[in-house]
Amino acid sequence: MDPILATLNISIIGKGLMIGGGFIGPGIGIGLIGGNYLQAVGRNPEAAKFLGQALIFVAIVELFGLLAFASIFIVK
Amino acid sequence: MTLPYIFGSGPTVYVAPQTVLNFHGLTVTNSELYGWGIIVVILVLFIWAAHKVKLYPGKGFIGFVEEGVTFITNLVEGSFNRPGVGRKYVPYFVTVFFFILFNNWSELLPVIGDAFRHGSAPLLRPFTADLDATFAIGVVTMGLVYYASVKESGGFGIYLRHFFVGSPKNPLYFVIGLLEMFTDLTRVISLSLRLYLNVTIGMIVIDVFAYLGSFAGPVTALPFYLVEIFICMLQAYIFTVLSVMYLAVAVNHAHDHNDLSHDEYLTEDELPETIKAEPGKVGNAGGV
Repeated sequence: MDPILATLNISIIGKGLMIGGGFIGPGIGIGLIGGNYLQAVGRNPEAAKFLGQALIFVAIVELFGLLAFASIFIVK
Repeated sequence: MTLPYIFGSGPTVYVAPQTVLNFHGLTVTNSELYGWGIIVVILVLFIWAAHKVKLYPGKGFIGFVEEGVTFITNLVEGSFNRPGVGRKYVPYFVTVFFFILFNNWSELLPVIGDAFRHGSAPLLRPFTADLDATFAIGVVTMGLVYYASVKESGGFGIYLRHFFVGSPKNPLYFVIGLLEMFTDLTRVISLSLRLYLNVTIGMIVIDVFAYLGSFAGPVTALPFYLVEIFICMLQAYIFTVLSVMYLAVAVNHAHDHNDLSHDEYLTEDELPETIKAEPGKVGNAGGV
């Protein structure tokens, strides 16, 4: 067997890549939602009452990050 | 399953419920066991709270229940663009909200996981950390949503009509309508997966950070514990508000198509007398 392959644990690298890559998208998404919410509140303070609706979109975006996290348990 | 860690084998985490009892061929999992326990707790607490409700808001647990019920009632009634439609759906959504909330919060009690064991499996596991359970809640909720949308729209044909923005005979709108119907079916899965993954991964994160802290485990896990209290509340709110939104969108669309004529737009003859008389009054006042 190739000595590099024998010492590397590829499944751990795969899990790391899955978590890292899977959390990039939701990270950007939640940042955009929060930033745009604050911008809206800054321009029009009455928009502050829409925090609940912003949180709904946070939950929708967050699902994809959690899917990436859950997928690491099926990698052997 | 054990999480690998650089110094050792890592904490033991469970992503699925395990069977603890075998009752005449009927298997009982640890999540069901804990779920029934939480149901009894909810029943006792809420029947007690219902007897204590007074005209002025209470304090402590009763105040919390009153706040929650008022919040969900306002949420449901405010989602429909015609008053009085949402009132009859309030009890179901209040029930779902508190059921999910208490089952989510039950993951924060120290009795779950390795505290009590039955053989190789933990005896107790949060009910919402089980995909079967959240899928059942999602199926029941979306079943109510579909039934109520068809009933409120006034017929299955009118209900189907709200998927199509324009005429269904236009090929583009037809394809868009079919896509909308397919998206509708994925809602059960997305609702249940979101709840299940949030609760399960919350448990795992607390486990992992308690393990990483070794002797200072309670301190390192504390921030995540506090975040979880908030996340659990948020997930119960999200589940309720999303299902209310699915219901409200279907019902409101159907009404938009049906009866715009009398509710929304008044003709010139139907204007109340006071509004008609207004311009003349203003003119007179200006003349004086």
